[in-house]
Amino acid sequence: MNGLDAISANNGWNIAALGITIVFTGLVLLSLAISQLHKILTLWETKHLFYEQVKEVWQKKRTGVADDDRFLAEEQPPEVVLPKSLKKSADQFNILVLHLGEPFPLPKLLELAIKRGLDRPHSTLNHLIQTKLIVPDKLGFFHWNEKVYNCISEPEDE
Amino acid sequence: MADLLVQFLQNTGYYMADYRHCIMIIVGCVFIYLGIAKHYEPLLLVPIGFGILVGNVPVFKGLGLSIYEDNSVLSYLYFGVTKGIYPSLIFMGIGALTDFSTMIARPVLMLLGAAAQMGIFITFLGALALGFDPKEAASIGIIGGADGPTAIFLSAKLAPALIGPIAVAAYSYMALVPVIQPPIMKLLTTRKERLIRMEDPREVSKQEKMVFPVIAFLLCCFLAPAALPLLGMLFFGNLLKEAVVTERLAEAARRPVIDSVTILLGLTVGASTQADRFLKPESIEIFILGALSFCVATASGLIFAKIMNLFLRQKINPLLGAAGVSAVPDSARVVQMVGQAEDPTNFLLMHAMAPNVSGVIGSAIGAGVLWSFMV
Repeated sequence: MNGLDAISANNGWNIAALGITIVFTGLVLLSLAISQLHKILTLWETKHLFYEQVKEVWQKKRTGVADDDRFLAEEQPPEVVLPKSLKKSADQFNILVLHLGEPFPLPKLLELAIKRGLDRPHSTLNHLIQTKLIVPDKLGFFHWNEKVYNCISEPEDE
Repeated sequence: MADLLVQFLQNTGYYMADYRHCIMIIVGCVFIYLGIAKHYEPLLLVPIGFGILVGNVPVFKGLGLSIYEDNSVLSYLYFGVTKGIYPSLIFMGIGALTDFSTMIARPVLMLLGAAAQMGIFITFLGALALGFDPKEAASIGIIGGADGPTAIFLSAKLAPALIGPIAVAAYSYMALVPVIQPPIMKLLTTRKERLIRMEDPREVSKQEKMVFPVIAFLLCCFLAPAALPLLGMLFFGNLLKEAVVTERLAEAARRPVIDSVTILLGLTVGASTQADRFLKPESIEIFILGALSFCVATASGLIFAKIMNLFLRQKINPLLGAAGVSAVPDSARVVQMVGQAEDPTNFLLMHAMAPNVSGVIGSAIGAGVLWSFMV
């Protein structure tokens, strides 16, 4: 028997379809697993920070409402005063962060800032981290701190 | 005295040889020439070529000289082929030689390695259509994986009688990758596509590289357990390489073990191509199907890369799809060569290694799947 009849008689279509599906499934599964691998390893390496966070939350829960109020009070971001030039840079970086999406890797943000020709990107980024406008998520990525950003005011004498 | 002399003369190769032996000896010499003079896969073509010469010296049956006679030296050496021992050991060496970091950095490129395996299954259908039985068709189809050890492994399990032609076809076409692939690559891509530059891959940590072989082995072999002898050895070899503390074992796997096994595999596969077993119409069909499977595999990878580009924000150079056929590292080198022909400053080799090594995994899974369907 030859031709299409031979393929059908030997279940060839099904074997070929299933075969390629299994190969694709195997490699898709593997690619999904290894795309998450570095995140899992980062989490593993920073597990002590994770435990600390959990411990902190647990302690806050145990200490009750009064402490919660104190916690909220502490969490209120202080008013941040930035030089005029830095305020402008913060606005520009905010646009880049919106473009990148959150959470974002810091090197990517820096790379984008350099590519867009922002003024002194390294030192500006350093200032933004120091003023907690950009905060780490302790998993290797960073967030834009909207609360602090909304509290920025410019010095009157500048 | 005269009778003895006549008897001796009748037992010589000169007396017993016919035109088929001459054809095979010419084929063997061509292999040796291509390996030495043209540098086409010399580590494979030279042992196979000389093996063809060894296998095609006409010998008196019953003396225990032929590779197909019990208790002959060559039959013992051939044992490693028929039982699938050599391909597994070669996979261990490949694992110890392979750096998976570009694939780990951009896992999406693994899909190109999967797409190129279409060649296996389309050739399988082609072989069935030509009248081969399913086991033979599966063994012929695996030539499309562009992976010599995998092709030998599967044909040893499913169609031992076809090992010779399948192995010779697989290794010949692997050697001819720089000739077969570029026209298809140019035909299926535009100049603009060939000029696409790839983003630098992220840095991969040592821990990632160490964990990868364990995870990949478990994921793939739980899905296709029949791929265990090949993938198990591949990832074991890679773990030896990445674990650092086993550097001595990795060094053994990547040098003495793989070299010794390649010599034995090449020589015995070559010797198995005895004229009376090799020069048959089926061998010509296998060669035609093998060429077709390489073309289909290359085209599938290229077309799939173009389809991926419809959805990806950061476009990939579709030439990388051609590296999905697992001829490591030749098809990746061809990608680099074709890419640089358009733009000498565009370096694609590193990126092409990702689909290339995922093609090795894909073809081993494909072999495992076909084996499990045929048992």
